Amino acid sequence: MNQVGRDIPRLEVRAKVTGRADYTHNLRLPGMLYGKVFRATVPHGRIRCIETGAARAVPGVQCVVTGEDIRKLIAEPYYGPAFHDQPILALDKVRHVGEPVAVVLASDPHVAEHAAQLIDAEYQELPAVYDEVAAMQPDIVVHDMLKPAGTFADLKHLKGRTGTNIALDFHLRRGDVDAALARAERVIEHTFKTQQCLHLAFEPFVAVADPGDGVLTIHTSNQTPSFVRTEIARLFGWPENRVRVKVPYLGGGFGAKVYVKLEALVSALALLVRRPVKIALTMEEQFYMITKHPTTFRIKSGVGKDGRVVARACEVYWNGGAYADIGPRVTQKSGFTAPGPYDIENINIDSYALYTNRTPAGALRGFGIPQLVWAYESHTDLIARELGIDPIDFRRKNILHQNRPQASGTPMTDAAIAKVLDAIAARLAWNKKLDRGSGTVRRGRGVAIGFKASISPTTSVAIVNVAADGSTTLYTSTVDMGQGSDTAFAQIAAEVLDFKAEDIRIVHPDTDVTPYDMGTLGSRSLFHMGNAVRLAAEDARAKLQALAAQAGLPEGTNYPPAEVFKKRFGMQAGNVIGAASFVPTYKSPDAQTGLSDNVTPFWMVGGAGAEVEVDTETGDVRVLRLVNAVDCGKPINPGVARTQLSGAAIMQLGFTLSEAMQLDAGQVTNASLADYKIPGIRDVPPMENELVEAEQHTGPFGAKGLGESGTFGVSPAIANAIHDAVGVRIMELPITAEVVFRALRAQQGRPLEDA
Amino acid sequence: MIPFEMVEPKSLKEALALLDPQESTVRAVAGGTALMLMMKAGVFTPTRLVCLHGIESEYARITVSAGELRIGAMATLSELERDANVAARLPVLKRAMRTLSNVRVRNVARVGGALAHGDPHLDLPPVLAALGARVSISGAGGDRELPLEQLYSGYYETVLAKDELITAVKIPAQAARKAAYMKVTARSADDWPALGVAVSFAFADGAIRDPIVVVSAATEKVTRMAAAEKVLHGAAPDDATLARAGDAAAAAAAILTDAHGSAAYKRELLRVYLRRAVREALGDGARPVRQ
Repeated sequence: MNQVGRDIPRLEVRAKVTGRADYTHNLRLPGMLYGKVFRATVPHGRIRCIETGAARAVPGVQCVVTGEDIRKLIAEPYYGPAFHDQPILALDKVRHVGEPVAVVLASDPHVAEHAAQLIDAEYQELPAVYDEVAAMQPDIVVHDMLKPAGTFADLKHLKGRTGTNIALDFHLRRGDVDAALARAERVIEHTFKTQQCLHLAFEPFVAVADPGDGVLTIHTSNQTPSFVRTEIARLFGWPENRVRVKVPYLGGGFGAKVYVKLEALVSALALLVRRPVKIALTMEEQFYMITKHPTTFRIKSGVGKDGRVVARACEVYWNGGAYADIGPRVTQKSGFTAPGPYDIENINIDSYALYTNRTPAGALRGFGIPQLVWAYESHTDLIARELGIDPIDFRRKNILHQNRPQASGTPMTDAAIAKVLDAIAARLAWNKKLDRGSGTVRRGRGVAIGFKASISPTTSVAIVNVAADGSTTLYTSTVDMGQGSDTAFAQIAAEVLDFKAEDIRIVHPDTDVTPYDMGTLGSRSLFHMGNAVRLAAEDARAKLQALAAQAGLPEGTNYPPAEVFKKRFGMQAGNVIGAASFVPTYKSPDAQTGLSDNVTPFWMVGGAGAEVEVDTETGDVRVLRLVNAVDCGKPINPGVARTQLSGAAIMQLGFTLSEAMQLDAGQVTNASLADYKIPGIRDVPPMENELVEAEQHTGPFGAKGLGESGTFGVSPAIANAIHDAVGVRIMELPITAEVVFRALRAQQGRPLEDA
Repeated sequence: MIPFEMVEPKSLKEALALLDPQESTVRAVAGGTALMLMMKAGVFTPTRLVCLHGIESEYARITVSAGELRIGAMATLSELERDANVAARLPVLKRAMRTLSNVRVRNVARVGGALAHGDPHLDLPPVLAALGARVSISGAGGDRELPLEQLYSGYYETVLAKDELITAVKIPAQAARKAAYMKVTARSADDWPALGVAVSFAFADGAIRDPIVVVSAATEKVTRMAAAEKVLHGAAPDDATLARAGDAAAAAAAILTDAHGSAAYKRELLRVYLRRAVREALGDGARPVRQ
């Protein structure tokens, strides 16, 4: 039976709905202490003193730990994937409200919580910077000196730089933009902005460190166990084999739980007190951990008489908050797609990662792409309107076709952009007239398409273990956080070995047991680990055939593995280990031009079409219909793929219509689920999710990742539909009813006055 | 959580005696759905909670006598939602329940708690105020009764003494009065409302009589809109009248800016939703709120 392409339910679904699935939150170790974090109350300030006496005096408190205590254990207690800029606990300065300053440890979490409220810190307050464009000026500097991690060649030139908030500037130059703009028939320029929002996984961050005897074990809700091991070993100056990282299921990750989050803190605490330490954040504390970049995107296009875009200049400012996290990679690796999926000869891209005094920003389902698509697809629609061309025709005229070079110079191979656009247009019956409503209810529709490169270069390793009875276990460090990777890998291995996917067991990440993987992020797992699993299964199959030959069986025998083992070893004994690494080729962008002809192993393509209804008296927007389409190659499991698509679209719908972290003088004023509104079930519009027919020729059985693709088009498709309905253009997310109302009033020449 | 005393009196009298007229860390707990959140957030730290679950069962009954509906303060919101008398006499109240939080909260939260909490975003107070409800209050000093809207003195503030408890809500016979409640959420469907507008009125010979107009959520407390009521009384519900009523309400209401929207925007919403509430009450098929 074909295992690939089967619509089987996710393997863990029964365990999850019956509450039996394992999560780090449930873990309790003997002698374990609970840590409660005391956080900074000012956005930018030098630490004068931290008063911990009252907290220490609370009965049941084991100890109170500050950054200076950590410094005694680790001389340079700074971590981060791109920059070693983030202290385990604040040292010398605090750089955003909510930054961890001290931790209370107690056997009872309620005691720790109470004691943490008794800590007091004094700061010498410093002026703060919150806006990404303002941060381009060095008037207020968040970090005295830049400290790139050294693992990335393109960050080396930033080492030791002072007097700047620019953590990375990426530039791409293709053709001659100035000359082309000068020659263009029309030059059209806009500025778009996005807001700060966050992942809000229903399982907040949690980690447990067990100091052990010579081997530190970390149990954590994290998407990158291999990275955690490497980084914790680096911090302590240990070999990697003294650190063990175990990850069970995740209650959601969405890019929040990548690299080191709580792991360095619990590890340092466990080593200081020589007892296991657990820290579990509340939902509210998530607002101070990691967020999605607010952005300002200035985009300028030159258009020829024939409606072709001849030049595009993109300036993107990424508000990275107080610590770089993976922001510099967002700036570059998403930055080079800023002109959109269009065939444009002359392109300039300037993309800047900025430090500010906000909660840090990193990866969030799309790694910066939704912010870019928001701008370039809103811009594209506006150009089409200005030229009087149908927005779908205008896109078709400019779209990047198969094997044409994208801005970076890398060809768009196996990227079904036109098909995705066609699928959306067909579903919306674009060539038919829409009922546009009447009176105070007006309807409109809009489309948007986007694309993304995969993170590169990265490595995945897989092991397939066939036991003597033929039962098979798969070892990978991919984290199943709800996306269905366990199921997909079982289907791939089963396809190769001619087993049933449901019979394959998956061992969850445990760095003592499962091999290296760069991380479960950027929709990379199905392609990278999927290829590794396929190769490992092929290796196992070849070894089984060799075993059959040793047992004297003829070549191509259909003896089941259990029989082969028995014949070879005389009893149920032995096993076969298949192993493989997968690492695609990659060429770094040229330092001068930002160009590379091999910048990604594959392209993700996604788009959306929306029909909306606007209440012109209130600005309320209802999405009547949301069409999501993606190129995910040949899906391994179409059912799971569609739910990934709808999940991504709903998440982006929240970022489009309601979600925004409100900031007042650096303080987050709505840090709770009551005040920061994500979509509920009654906000989910009727949706259609389409996987277009395509193939990723280098992917496992023609497949590629799609966890993020469903986010790409949602925001601009809705803004374009609103424009179509009522003629107003929203340039900044989120598009709340009040925002639309104000735009309508401005359009009528009677702007809403605030008394 | 700091340890505290939890007492479970068996009678209302005993419960009242366990409250403290001076001490704000001693509080009664009915369903606890709001109080537990405040405790979890650290904004309320009790020394003693007086749990009302054990008091006489009559305080949880919903009864009708002489046309008046009496809702015991310990009735759950779900009981209110499913009560046959409520459904028959006060369909607006039953309808309001559908978007009031969720079934798990409604199964636990009590009517008395929902009124005494004083949060202007709750749904029950404006609806009940528009229905002309009165609250019965018992305390060490005796019993008293108040029109519901007079219960509130500010944001999360009521006129209840620390040793008083709401025992019941009484809603007069509505006869042929018409009523509607518009809950306007600005961000997601399950958001706290940016604005609540509740209306009830008699309607005869094409004219509105004795209207009650109540605004909630956008103001610091549930507020009756006397100026709008004056415009509506005796008038036909045409566009011009409804616009004037909306203007009167918008001018009078003390609307606040918050995360749900600016005061200026919510004032515009009030104009629109006052009109829609009247139309909804008349059964004109006004466009329902996002829900």
